[in-house]
Amino acid sequence: MTASVPLTEALDDTAPPRQAWWKALLRDRAAALALITLLSIALAALLAPLIAPHDPYEGTRSVMQPPVWAERGDWTYLLGTDGQGRDILSRLLYGTRLTLLIGILSVGLGATVGSLLGLLSAFYKRIDPYVMRFADVMLSFPAILLGLALVAIFGPGALPVIIALSIATVPDSARIARSIAIGVMEQEYIEAGRAIGLSDRTLFSRYLLRNSISAIMIFVSLRFGQIILIGAALSFLGLGARPPAAELGMMASQGRDFMLFAPHIAFIPSIAIFVIVLAANITGDAIRDVLDPRLRS
Amino acid sequence: MTAPVLSVANLSKDFPLARGMLRREKLVVRAVSDITFELGRGETLAIVGESGCGKSTLGRSLLRLIEPTSGKVMLGRDNVTGMNTTQLRAARRRMQIIFQDPYGSLNPRMTVRETLAEPLLLHGLADPKTLEAKVNEILSLSGLSRFHAERYPHEFSGGQRQRVGIARALATRPELIVCDEPVSALDVSLQAQIVNLLQDLQQEFGLAYVFISHDLSVVRHIATRIAVMYLGRFVEEAPAETLFTTPLHPYTQSLIKAVPLPDPSVQRQQAELRGDMPSALAVPSGCAFHPRCPLATDLCRHSRPETRMIGDTRVACHHAEAGAAHATAQKIKPGKLDRRLAVLRAAKNEQASAPTDKRQETR
Repeated sequence: MTASVPLTEALDDTAPPRQAWWKALLRDRAAALALITLLSIALAALLAPLIAPHDPYEGTRSVMQPPVWAERGDWTYLLGTDGQGRDILSRLLYGTRLTLLIGILSVGLGATVGSLLGLLSAFYKRIDPYVMRFADVMLSFPAILLGLALVAIFGPGALPVIIALSIATVPDSARIARSIAIGVMEQEYIEAGRAIGLSDRTLFSRYLLRNSISAIMIFVSLRFGQIILIGAALSFLGLGARPPAAELGMMASQGRDFMLFAPHIAFIPSIAIFVIVLAANITGDAIRDVLDPRLRS
Repeated sequence: MTAPVLSVANLSKDFPLARGMLRREKLVVRAVSDITFELGRGETLAIVGESGCGKSTLGRSLLRLIEPTSGKVMLGRDNVTGMNTTQLRAARRRMQIIFQDPYGSLNPRMTVRETLAEPLLLHGLADPKTLEAKVNEILSLSGLSRFHAERYPHEFSGGQRQRVGIARALATRPELIVCDEPVSALDVSLQAQIVNLLQDLQQEFGLAYVFISHDLSVVRHIATRIAVMYLGRFVEEAPAETLFTTPLHPYTQSLIKAVPLPDPSVQRQQAELRGDMPSALAVPSGCAFHPRCPLATDLCRHSRPETRMIGDTRVACHHAEAGAAHATAQKIKPGKLDRRLAVLRAAKNEQASAPTDKRQETR
């Protein structure tokens, strides 16, 4: 039976070296920069109680102190102080913490439930109409309205915001995951897997999920940015974190009152939101590329 | 024929279709109707026909990748159509499929090793200790090398991927393999290699093939018997040589005439097949072929011909006897594929006689 072997079309004996996924990720400069930024922000937020130079909730007499690089700047308050004389750097660290927590939890919960629903509805065509009508109904609830309703029930705080944002993420991710999964289900390898005799469970996880996940990841990363913005918007409207807790959106909202005299109070948290959202989007894109072996080599 | 590997009785597949406003208009597409045949160990039944005639649906119905509407499929002594899900999954070890598209039929997220190990582990044919050796064995059977195993499908050429597809089908040592246009996506030299590989494997393991193709010149090399399909039905089924030398059904005759000749100097007969295949939604009355048939009479328009035996041939045509006279014995000149196969065969023989300098010959 070796008869046909020598006539194989490829005679090269060297398999190309395959890179570890994280090496591939770091090779892309923009992605590496975004990832490092995101990680350092997350780390700083995590270590906020240790590295924050001042109490983020305690006001001082030096109100609306400008940041250190401005005229009249002071090394005591690196980023200046807000309208109540609280250290902005410390509030920024604590605020990022809450903002990231809201973003991660809402996207994590919402996208997991939603994608699973979407994938299942592509896999089992019978349940598809029901899942999709359900998603349509949920889509018609604006996140902000849902947030208002939940705040009315639970009172203001991070929890109702997280619940509202998770629920708002479910129908979107269900629709996206479904459309991705329908494309995958049409591929012949799904039928090939079935022909081998795979169980539905293996077929679902090893074939459908594995081939849909990278595309879903793009949605998740984009959604993460959006959710942080919506979460900040909710806090801006006074629905999110309850004062004196710090949250980036709320900080921006409070800074609005001092826009003319001390613009840095609103600008600094806004810039932080911008950087987080941008870094999340770039990283998400890069992770998608890395998860896909076709784009890796 | 000793106990057949596959016997199929009156297999049909309908696709219901709802159309129009409110989906009131119910239509039924008869993709496969009333197919009956038997296939023995080591035999190849080729199923040929134009695209849309139901070949692929038939192939998938045999394996219950598509649930047949009615009829019976027996794999050896077991009734495939009567199995429950668990039994069917276990029976998949014994029947496999090779797909047309070598790009779409492999999971892009799995290396070749994972792809080949999957059926082995699933059906308990290997344990973690023997797995590597078994996978390597399958690789070399299909003409792939060990270093191919760690690669992903996108790193291969079309021909190599098709070998991976064959290796996967072969992994569980099935009795039956449905080959759904396995060489149609490949160029001629690769076609020859793959056909050759399939033949070698058939000899070695006594595989039974259902070989679906639209290409008569490929089928000629591999088929024991050939069935010609038109609008979901077998119109003629005969041993391969008989079909080519004395085709009885006018449709078969026109298909054989339509085979492209590799020699431009040969004067071609005008193909006598008129028009397109009718829609499966509106199958013509009587004999489905009558609107395109040169021999059609009123009889053909009104009554559907039953399948009859004439010699070794099963044919469904009212005018089969007249058709036989009508047929001008047509010789298909050897084409590129034949030459390639001849080269391969010569190389193999040479190798068999001098196995020691195998390595040098490949250079």
